[in-house]
Amino acid sequence: MSERTYAARASSPPALYAAIAALTLGGGVASYFANGYQQYVIAMVAITAIVGVGLNVLLGLAGQLSLGHVGFYAIGAYACAILTTRYGWSFWIVLPLAGIAAAIAGALLAAPALRVRGPYLAMVTIAFGFVIEQSAAEMKSLTGGWNGIMNVPRPTFAGLAMDEFGIGVLALVLLAALLVLFARLRGGTWGLAMRATRDAEVASQSIGLALVTIRTVAFVISAFLAGIAGALFAILGNFVSPESFPFFQSITFLLVVLVGGAGTVLGPVAGAIVVVLLPEVLSFLAEYRLLFFGVLLLIVLWLVPEGIVGAIGRRLRAADARTPQSDENRVAAFLATDTSGSAPGSRDGLVVDGLAIAFGGTQAVNDVSLVAKPGEVTSIIGPNGAGKTTLLNLIGGFYRADRGSVVLDGVVLPKGTTYRIARAGIARTFQTTQLFARMTVLENVLIALRRGGLGGVREAVGQGADADATALGCALLAFAGYRGSIHRPAGELPHVDRRLVEIARALATRPRVLLLDEPAAGLGEGDTKRLGALLQRIAKRGVAVVIIEHDMNLVMGISDHIVALDAGRRLVAGTPADVRANDDVRAAYLGEGELAIARSAARSESSEIVLAVDGVDAGYGPLPVLSQIRLDVKRGELVALLGANGAGKSTLMRAIAGLHRPVRGRVLLLGREIALLPAHRIVRDGLTLVPEGRQVFSELSVVDNILMGALALDRRAAESEVERLIARFPILDPLRDRRAGLLSGGEQQMLAIARGLAARPKIVLLDEPSLGLAPAIVESLYRVLEQLRSEGTTILLVDQMARLALSIADRAYVIQSGRVVQQGSAEDVRNDAALEKAYLG
Amino acid sequence: MGIARNPRNGWRAALGVAALVVATSALAADPIKIGLVAALSGPSAQSGEAITQGLTIAIDEINAAGGLLGRPLALVKRDDESSPPKGATAARELIYDEKVAAIFGGLDTPVSLAIVPIANKEHVPYMGVWAAGTPITRNGANPNFAFRVSAVDVMVDEALLKYAQKNGAKKPGLILINNPWGESNEKGLKEEAQKLGITLAGIEKFEDRDVDIVPQLTRLKNAGADALILVANAAPGAQVMKARERMGWKVPVISHWGVSGGRFPELAGPTAGDVVFVQTYSFFGNQKPAGKKVLSELEKKYKVSGPEGVISPVGVADAYDAMHLLALAIKKAGSTKGDAVRQALHEIDEYQGLIKTYHKPFSAQNQDALGPDDYVFVRFEGNKIVPVH
Amino acid sequence: MDLFVAALVTGVGLGSMYGLLALGFYVTYAVSSTVNFAQGSTMMLGAVMGFTFGVTLGLPWIVAILLALVACVVWGVVVEAIGVRPFARRGSDLWLMATVALGLILENVVLFTFGKDPRGMPQSALTAEAFSVGGLRVSLLQVTIPVVGLAIAFALHVLTRHTRSGKSMLAIVQNPDAARLMGIDVRAAIVGAYAVSGLFAGIAGLLIAPLFTVSSSMGTLFGIKAFAVAILGGIGNPWGVVLAGLIYGSAESLITATFGSTYTQILTFGLVIVALALRPDGLFGRAGVKKV
Repeated sequence: MSERTYAARASSPPALYAAIAALTLGGGVASYFANGYQQYVIAMVAITAIVGVGLNVLLGLAGQLSLGHVGFYAIGAYACAILTTRYGWSFWIVLPLAGIAAAIAGALLAAPALRVRGPYLAMVTIAFGFVIEQSAAEMKSLTGGWNGIMNVPRPTFAGLAMDEFGIGVLALVLLAALLVLFARLRGGTWGLAMRATRDAEVASQSIGLALVTIRTVAFVISAFLAGIAGALFAILGNFVSPESFPFFQSITFLLVVLVGGAGTVLGPVAGAIVVVLLPEVLSFLAEYRLLFFGVLLLIVLWLVPEGIVGAIGRRLRAADARTPQSDENRVAAFLATDTSGSAPGSRDGLVVDGLAIAFGGTQAVNDVSLVAKPGEVTSIIGPNGAGKTTLLNLIGGFYRADRGSVVLDGVVLPKGTTYRIARAGIARTFQTTQLFARMTVLENVLIALRRGGLGGVREAVGQGADADATALGCALLAFAGYRGSIHRPAGELPHVDRRLVEIARALATRPRVLLLDEPAAGLGEGDTKRLGALLQRIAKRGVAVVIIEHDMNLVMGISDHIVALDAGRRLVAGTPADVRANDDVRAAYLGEGELAIARSAARSESSEIVLAVDGVDAGYGPLPVLSQIRLDVKRGELVALLGANGAGKSTLMRAIAGLHRPVRGRVLLLGREIALLPAHRIVRDGLTLVPEGRQVFSELSVVDNILMGALALDRRAAESEVERLIARFPILDPLRDRRAGLLSGGEQQMLAIARGLAARPKIVLLDEPSLGLAPAIVESLYRVLEQLRSEGTTILLVDQMARLALSIADRAYVIQSGRVVQQGSAEDVRNDAALEKAYLG
Repeated sequence: MGIARNPRNGWRAALGVAALVVATSALAADPIKIGLVAALSGPSAQSGEAITQGLTIAIDEINAAGGLLGRPLALVKRDDESSPPKGATAARELIYDEKVAAIFGGLDTPVSLAIVPIANKEHVPYMGVWAAGTPITRNGANPNFAFRVSAVDVMVDEALLKYAQKNGAKKPGLILINNPWGESNEKGLKEEAQKLGITLAGIEKFEDRDVDIVPQLTRLKNAGADALILVANAAPGAQVMKARERMGWKVPVISHWGVSGGRFPELAGPTAGDVVFVQTYSFFGNQKPAGKKVLSELEKKYKVSGPEGVISPVGVADAYDAMHLLALAIKKAGSTKGDAVRQALHEIDEYQGLIKTYHKPFSAQNQDALGPDDYVFVRFEGNKIVPVH
Repeated sequence: MDLFVAALVTGVGLGSMYGLLALGFYVTYAVSSTVNFAQGSTMMLGAVMGFTFGVTLGLPWIVAILLALVACVVWGVVVEAIGVRPFARRGSDLWLMATVALGLILENVVLFTFGKDPRGMPQSALTAEAFSVGGLRVSLLQVTIPVVGLAIAFALHVLTRHTRSGKSMLAIVQNPDAARLMGIDVRAAIVGAYAVSGLFAGIAGLLIAPLFTVSSSMGTLFGIKAFAVAILGGIGNPWGVVLAGLIYGSAESLITATFGSTYTQILTFGLVIVALALRPDGLFGRAGVKKV
C-alpha cells in the first residue's frame, strides 16, 4: 500500500464513509415509510446530531467544555423565525444567515470564554445560555416575548411546501455532509492542531500554534452548526419561544457528544439517537419518564465512559505497529534549508543580551547574556535555583523579560509570545515531557511540521495527511532514534521514547535553535550516550543546540561551549576545560568531582529484618512488571536497588509503599503483613516512601509541606522536626514561606526528601533522589544519607547513579526485566559484570 | 361416525367459537383514546395531576354508563415538561401513533400554542382546560379545531379591572409573574385599562423563583397604587403577599385564578385572606349533585379530604366538564372523526355541567365555553374559599 | 433610599444563602477537583426533609432539623459513591453529567413522594418580626442567615489555613499520591468533603425554606447561581466564595430595585461573564502555580 493511500485511509477510511451513507439512507427510507410523528422524531434526531457535530469539534477536538450551546441554537432559531415571518425572506437564504448570526455570537463569546478554563469556562457558557434565553423573553418587539413567534412558514422545494419528511431529509443530508467534513477536519491540519491544544497547551504553542485563534475557530464552528440546527428546528416545529431553549437543553447537547463518544465521527449520531429517541420510546411512562431517563443516563455513563462509538471503535481498531523508516539525507536536507526571516547573510545564531526577570521580589534571572552558535552545542549549567529553566523560558517566550533582548540571526524576537518565537525558529523540549498524549507518535510530529501554518479551509477539509509529510515525519523519528510504532498513542510511551519523540517533534519545526531542558534526566548510561550522539548529530546539521543538564559526563563530552549560572547571574562562559577549572563554578556547583564520601565502618550485623518482600508479582492490567521479587532490609542497613530504566524499580517501591495495588506475594513490615494495606495505613506503621519526581504540594509553602510529612506527630513535635530538617537541608531555609510549586526542580527534590523524613520513619524508601540535582547537591545529599545510615536509619534506595549508591550501601539487589538477577554486599555487586550488563545492555 | 361425534369436528367447533369470542371481544374492547398533553413533572406538575383527576372521573362515569359508541374510553397521557417542543412532539405521537380522538391541553400557554397548529392541520379537536392565553382559541385558523372550557385571559382581565373600579380603586398597579401567562395578561390588562379609561399606577414583573418582591411593590406604592392586580400562581403569589405584609401595606389585592392552584393560605400566611380572586368553580359551599358526586369520587379515588384538599379546583372542574362535553359531541356525531366531532361540538344545545348549565357552549365564532358571566369572585377564609359580595 | 436599604438587607440574606451553597462546591472542589453539579437538589432535599419531619410528621423541630441534615449528608455520600468516584477514578470528567443525572433522579423521586404542590413552612419564632429597618420588617431569620454563612466561612478558613488537618485536605487535590504517602486517607477525605457539602446544602435549604416555598424544583436555579458565586469567588477560597455570594445577592437585589426584576438575570449573568473575562481566576481567586 503506498504511503499516500495509507495516509488517506488512516484519516477517513472508506468504511466510515460507507457507514455515513448507510445511516443517511436508512434514516431517509425509514422516514418515508413512517407517520408524521415518527418523521418528526427522525428529523429531530438529525437536527440534534448536527448540534452534536459542532459541539464535537469544540469538546471532542479542542477540549473546551460548553454548557451554554442552547444559546447558539436559540439565536439560529430566532433568526430564522424573525426573518421568515416578519421580513418574508426565503428560508434558503435564511439558513446560512442563521448559522452566521450564531457564529458571530460564538466569536464574541470566545473572547471572555477562552481566558478561562475548567469550571470557569463552564460558568461563562452557562451564563451565556441564560442571558440568551432571558433576552429572548424580554426583547418583546423583536422576539415576540414569552409567547414567542408562531406560524414560522415551511419552505418550499420544487414548488411544494416541505413537510416533516422533507425537512428530515434535508437535515439528514446536511448531517451526512457535516459528518464527512468532520472526519476530514479531524484528520487534517486544523484537527491535529485542535487536539494538540487540548492535550498540551504550552507545548502546542511551542511548536508555533496560535492557541487563541485555534480555539476561537473551534468555538465559531460549533456555534455556526448550532445556529443552522436551530433554524431547522424553527421550521420543523413552526414555533419558537424562550421556553424551547432552557438551560437543561445545553446539558442534553453535551450528553449527545459524551454518550456517543467525544472526538469520534459517528458519536453525535449515536448520542442523538439515545438522547432524542429514548425519551420518545419511554413516553408511555408519562410523568415517570424523566426519572427513568435519569436512571438510564447514569447506567450509560457507568458502562461506556468513552461513549458508545468510542467503545465500539476501540474494539475495531487494528493494532498497527509500523516503525519509522530512516532517511538521513532527507532529514539533513530538511534541517539545513535556510528559512526566511533571518537578516540577509547573517547566521549569528542565538544572541541573548542582558535578560532579566523578577518574580515577586526575587530576581530570578539577572542580566544574563550568552551566545549559541549554529552548529555548536552550548550547555547551561548551574546549581538548582540558578535560573536555568527560567532563562530557557524567557528565550522561548513563556515568560516576558523585564529587560534585555533575544536576537536570532540578526532579527530581534518579540517578547513573551511563545508561538511567534516558535515560528521564528526556536524549538524546545521540556523538563517533564509534554507530548500530545492522545495523539499518535506520528501525529505529534506531523502537526509540528506545519510550524503553526495550518492553511485555509481547503487544507482543513482536504486530503488529510499527505505522503511527503508522513515520510518526513518518519525520517525525523528515526533520526531521533525512535524504534517503536508510529501509530502508538504518545501517552503510552515509556520514558526514553517520550524524550526521543519530543526531540523529533521539536526538530519538525525546522528550528535554528533547539532548547532542551534536562533531556538526560531519568536516562540510563547507555541511553544518555545515545542522546549525546544525537545532539551532536543535530548540531552538525546547522542547528544551535542549547541544553540544560546536570549530567557532567554528558555536558563535558558533547559541549562546544558552556555557560555557568548561579543565583540568576552568569558566572563564567567558555570551553569545557575553562569552566571545569574555574574555582567559582567548582565551589557553587561541581563539587569535588570525586565522590568522596567517607563511608563509616560496616555496622555490626543486626539480624532484625525491618522489611521483607517475598515472592511479589505485580503488573499493570495484563502486563506483568514484577516477577517473584525477594528481598529484605535489616535494621540499620542501607540497601540499594539497582537496574536500568523500565526494570521495575519504581513499581516495586510503589508496591511496597501501598500505592500500587493489587500485588501478589507477601510484604512484611516488622513482621506485619502490609501487602493488602493501602498507602495511608502503611505510613502509620513507619514506612515512608519519597517518590520519584519531586512530588511536592505545589500550593503549600515549604514549611507546610514538611508539616504534611509529620501529620502523625503532635504539633510541637512536628514543628521541631521542621526546624531539624531545615537545618539538615539548609538550602530550604530562605524558602520557608515560598509556595513549593515555585521552587526549582532540585529545591523541590530536597523538600520532598525532607518531608519524607519528617515522620521519623522506621524505614525510608527513596526513589531516584538524585534526579535533577546539581552534582554538588548530590554530594551533599549523599552525605546526608550516609549520616542517616550511621545514625541507624534503615534505608532502601533506588538510584540511577549506581556507583554512588553502591558507595554508601551495605547490600544491593540488581533488577532486570522485573526479576532480581543479582544480590549481595555492595562490594560484590560493584565488581560483578551483571551490573554493567543490566545498565548498558 | 357422525359430525357431532367426530372428535376432530368437536375441536374445530371449539376453536371456531373461541376465535369468534376473541374477535368480538377485541372489537368490543377497542377503546376510544383520549389524549392529554400536560405538565406531569416539574414545577407545574400539580396542574397535570388535577386535570388527570378531572378527566379520569368523567371518563369513569362515561365508561360505567356503557362507554361511547359501544366502546370504552381510555385516557392516554403524556408529559410536556412545560416545554413547547416536547408538548408538540407528544401531540404528534398521540395523533399519529396512538390515533387519539381528541387532545386535552394543560396549564402552559406556549405549549398549547405549539400544539394547536398541529391539531388544526390534522383535524383533531383540541380541548383546552386550563391555559388561558387568548390566541389559543382565537388563532385565525379555518376550520378551527381549538376549543376551551376555561377562563380566557382577556376576559378575566376585564373582570379584574371592573371589579377594582367598582370597589373604588382609581389607580391600580399591576404585579405580574414574568412568564408567558403574565405576558398575556399584561397585554390584556393594558388593553382593557385603556378601554375602561383606567390609569395604571405601574406595571411590575417578578420572577417565579424570586424570594423577595419588596422592591417591585415599593415602586408601585411610591407611584400611588391604591389596588394591586396580581397574576401569579400560588407559590409566587404567596411571596408577593409576604412582601406586602413585611411592608405593612394594606392595599387591596385582586387576583387572577393562579392563587387558587395550591395551598395558598399555608404558603402566604395570615394575609392570604386579603386577596380577592377569580374562579370558574369552587368546591366550597353548597354543591349541586354534580359537585357532590365529583367530590366523593375525588375522595374515593385520590384520597382527597373535602374541598380544602382539592388543590387545583379549576383544573379538576374544567377538565370534568370539558370531557363530558366532548363525549356528548362524539355521541352526537356518531363517530370519532375530527371534522364530525367539531361539527357536533358546535351543535351542542344544552348540557347541565358541573360549572354551570351550558347553552350552546361552542359556536364557529366563539369556541370558548366560559365567559365573563361565569367568573365568580372569591376569597380565602382560613383554608376555605368563600364568595365575596 | 429606603428602597436601597431594604434591597441590601434582602440581598445580604439571599447572598449568604448562595454563599453557603457555594461553600459546598468549594469543599469538594478543594479536595478532589470535582463538584456535585446538582447541589441545588441537595438543598431542596434539606428543605423537603425538614418539612416532612417537622410538619407532616410533627416531630419536634430540633429532631426534624437533625434528621433533615442527616438525610443530606447521606445523600452527599451517595452522590460521591455512585456519581463521582466511578468517573474520577478513571480520570474522566463525566462526573459532571452523572451528578446532573442524580439531581434529576432526586427531584423526580421527591416529586412523586413529597407531592407536586409547593408547601409553606409555618411561622415560627425565627420568622416573627424582630425589628424594623426603614419601615421594613426584618425577621430574626434574615439576620441568622448571613451570620451562619459567615461563621461557616470563618471556620473553614481557620481550618484550612491554620490547622494541619485542614492543610492536608488541600494537599490532596495538589498531589493525591503524595498525600497518601503522608498518611492521609484520600478516599475518606473525599467522602467526608461530599458529606460536608451535603450538610451545607441542607443547612441552606432549611434556612431558606421559611422565607420561600418548599417544592421539588425549588433548588435548580439556586444551585446554578451558587455555582456562579463559587466561580466568582475563585473556587479555592472560602472567604472569597462567601464574599462573592454577598456581592452577587446584593447586585441582584439592587438591580431589581432599580430596574425591575425582568432584566435582573440578564444583567447578573452578563456581569458574571464580564467579571470572569477581566479576572479569569475569579474575583478573589489566586492563579494556580504554572510551571513548565
